[in-house]
Amino acid sequence: MNWMAIWVTCKLATLTSLTLLIIGLPIAYWLTYSKWRWKFLIESIVALPLVLPPTVLGFYILISIGPHSPIGRFYTDLVGHPLPFSFQGLLLASILYSLPFAVQPFATAFEQVDRKLIEASWTLGLSKLKTFYRLILPLSTAGLITGVVLSFAHTLGEFGVVLMVGGNIEGITRTVSIEIYDEVQALNYAAAAKTSALLLLVSYTVLLLVYAMNRRVWSVWPQK
Amino acid sequence: MAPEITLNIRKTFVDRATIAVQLRLPLDPPSVTILFGPSGSGKTTILRCLAGLEQPEAGTILCNGQIWFDAATHVHVPPQARGLGYMAQDYALFPNYTVEGNIAYGLSGLSVQGKKARVNEVLSLLQITQLAQQKPAQLSGGQQQRVALARAIARRPQLLLLDEPLSALDAPTRTKLCEDLRMLLTRLAIPAVVVTHDWTEALALGDQMAVIDEGRLLQTGTPQDVFSRPINADVARVVGIETVLHGRVREIRDELATVQVGPVPVIAVASPGLESDVFVCIRAEDVTLELAGSSETSARNHLRGTVQAITSLGALVRVTIDCGFLLTALVTRSAQSELRLAIGSDVRAAFKAGSVHLIPRR
Amino acid sequence: MRQLLLIFSLFIIMDSDILRAEEITIAAASDLSFAFKELISAYEAASGNQVKLTLGSSGNFFAQIQNGAPFDLYFSADISYPKKLEEAGLIVPGSLYRYAIGRIVLWTRHESPIDVTQGIAALRQSSAKTIAIANPRHAPYGRAAIAAMEHFNMYDDVKDRLVLGENVSQTAQFVESGAADIGIIALSLARAPAMRTKGTYWEIPTEAHPTLEQGAIIVKASKRADSAKQFLEFVKSRQGVAIMKRYGFVAPESR
Repeated sequence: MNWMAIWVTCKLATLTSLTLLIIGLPIAYWLTYSKWRWKFLIESIVALPLVLPPTVLGFYILISIGPHSPIGRFYTDLVGHPLPFSFQGLLLASILYSLPFAVQPFATAFEQVDRKLIEASWTLGLSKLKTFYRLILPLSTAGLITGVVLSFAHTLGEFGVVLMVGGNIEGITRTVSIEIYDEVQALNYAAAAKTSALLLLVSYTVLLLVYAMNRRVWSVWPQK
Repeated sequence: MAPEITLNIRKTFVDRATIAVQLRLPLDPPSVTILFGPSGSGKTTILRCLAGLEQPEAGTILCNGQIWFDAATHVHVPPQARGLGYMAQDYALFPNYTVEGNIAYGLSGLSVQGKKARVNEVLSLLQITQLAQQKPAQLSGGQQQRVALARAIARRPQLLLLDEPLSALDAPTRTKLCEDLRMLLTRLAIPAVVVTHDWTEALALGDQMAVIDEGRLLQTGTPQDVFSRPINADVARVVGIETVLHGRVREIRDELATVQVGPVPVIAVASPGLESDVFVCIRAEDVTLELAGSSETSARNHLRGTVQAITSLGALVRVTIDCGFLLTALVTRSAQSELRLAIGSDVRAAFKAGSVHLIPRR
Repeated sequence: MRQLLLIFSLFIIMDSDILRAEEITIAAASDLSFAFKELISAYEAASGNQVKLTLGSSGNFFAQIQNGAPFDLYFSADISYPKKLEEAGLIVPGSLYRYAIGRIVLWTRHESPIDVTQGIAALRQSSAKTIAIANPRHAPYGRAAIAAMEHFNMYDDVKDRLVLGENVSQTAQFVESGAADIGIIALSLARAPAMRTKGTYWEIPTEAHPTLEQGAIIVKASKRADSAKQFLEFVKSRQGVAIMKRYGFVAPESR
């Protein structure tokens, strides 16, 4: 059992889902409550990672953060080493790749909060932001947990993006899924089988939790 | 500047009549204004515009000289800044807070002790102290209504807006709570605007009333005034005078008019200059039923007829009689059983000339 | 609770890219997979330093290094890649080292009815329904395989039956598992213990394809050039050469 790979994978999944919790909330809030006519454009962008082949995503990320790109150069100047093939680069790719898995459950949960409650909160003097913290968030905990757990599980299973952007560097960007791939190539079937079984077990448990708590996990967009 | 709210707004809809209303709501001395009308008339929209939850397309809303809304200069004071107490029709209690939490929800400026004191004060005012730790889902309809009221008044608002405060309740609870609400409003001395479509509530709660229909203000006045003296047939229809019929004034003598309603003459008090084509309005409460062959009474109108329909309204019974035209009477249940009223019974309807309201036809 | 999470996250992020000073990362063509595993344990035992190994196709590593991948050493199965890096000024000057000549073989499982001792004609046997080679677009061994098939005028007959492995290691895995009936793989892989016991191979004559000159370089951007040099010296040392020889890697000088 390659503990390094498991550690990298856990780190990646945890940081990805925590980051998505932070940035996904404002995105989901805007998508739920905005009345902009062209909102569907943003909805589609957020949903892209659901349908894009991971290699396509990985390709675009690689170009946009590579050492020849403005972002890449800025990062290298700042930190001293390039963004691709680093854990941070992989984290960035992961966040984009799992974005809809967090944002959609968040948005569904917000949508289900009765507007009358929100209005009552306003008439009681609470600003929109305060209303969000004291009313909408507490009433959306199931959706929030679903989003965090799903993005965690989804990151566990990343392969194509990791391969494109990560570089398979042991201890830094070699995740469990890559590890399994390596083991098979090295003909260590026993090791590959063990690691695969572990990943399967964890992913299944995670999904079990989510479905047990919440029936409406796979709705594509909140029902209006 | 007189302490009042002036409202002059216009709002269009795709599927309903445009709202164009001009209203003056007095704030001092504090009184209760009823916005009365059938569902879809726009009265709730007007209330929501007052609350700042909806914006009209054109017009202004001023409260005590302060501009709450001005379409021309794009001013819109949000609900948070209007110092209101608002109660929605289904109460909108926060399910994730206890009763105490709901009431304390808006009390942000107070210390912990201050909040507790105010919450207790309000709980006892509405007689729901024992419910403090319950969650809204555990409460009955009447209890929820009290909690919603408590929450609305906790912040000592300068204006109370109540949307159909009693319509979600069943009839017996409604009567009791109507009384309680009246006493509360008087005691609190906060100006209030109450939306309702129920004339008993309007009569019970209101100091003045505005009749709204199809987005238009039809009449203002005290409830008694408006109910008994609707200025036109629309108002009459809206406020629910049960019998509104076409009639032709035959003659006017000694300030009494004889009006032909179908085959039957009706005596009504007449004002001079009355047109010959009129609407004849008679409130069902003003019609008494008697068995044929009673002695003379002061009522100028005694009409013979047959009972066509009987509808129970709790303690009262609505009886429709065909006496040449369809006349509706409201009698007590005991009266119904005493007179042995049933469909097809022969009966006499009596009503005073003064109860016959004549409205010129347009 | 919140502070705990914050501290935890900070810890994770800071921990990420800190390799210990004496650790080096090597990008090695996958034909070296078994040879290098042995070589590296020997090196780590002898020197006390740590080595992190990443295996893959030479072409992929070439692209990655051009894009700043943080490898210290690059062992390519085709010396033209390191040479291009040298021209681009991306290597530590003078570090280019021709470490071996690569050989390709035909390989099939013991259970297979195909008889590889017949030589290249084995590819024409009816039971050779799928033939695995490494992807010629970025794997030198794949290019050599195609060159060999063309040399024997086989290519057109068999090209519809080819399956491509992402690198020569994966190609070996395809045949070893039986997913492909026969394959053209690196000699070093065929000689590895894991493969040797499972099948038979036939060495394809060196005239059949351009020489697979294999070269290594130290990446210029490497921050651990000294440790990298140390490793390279070990590869050139007698111990290193002996290990490589066992896997069929013969240094060009001693041919």
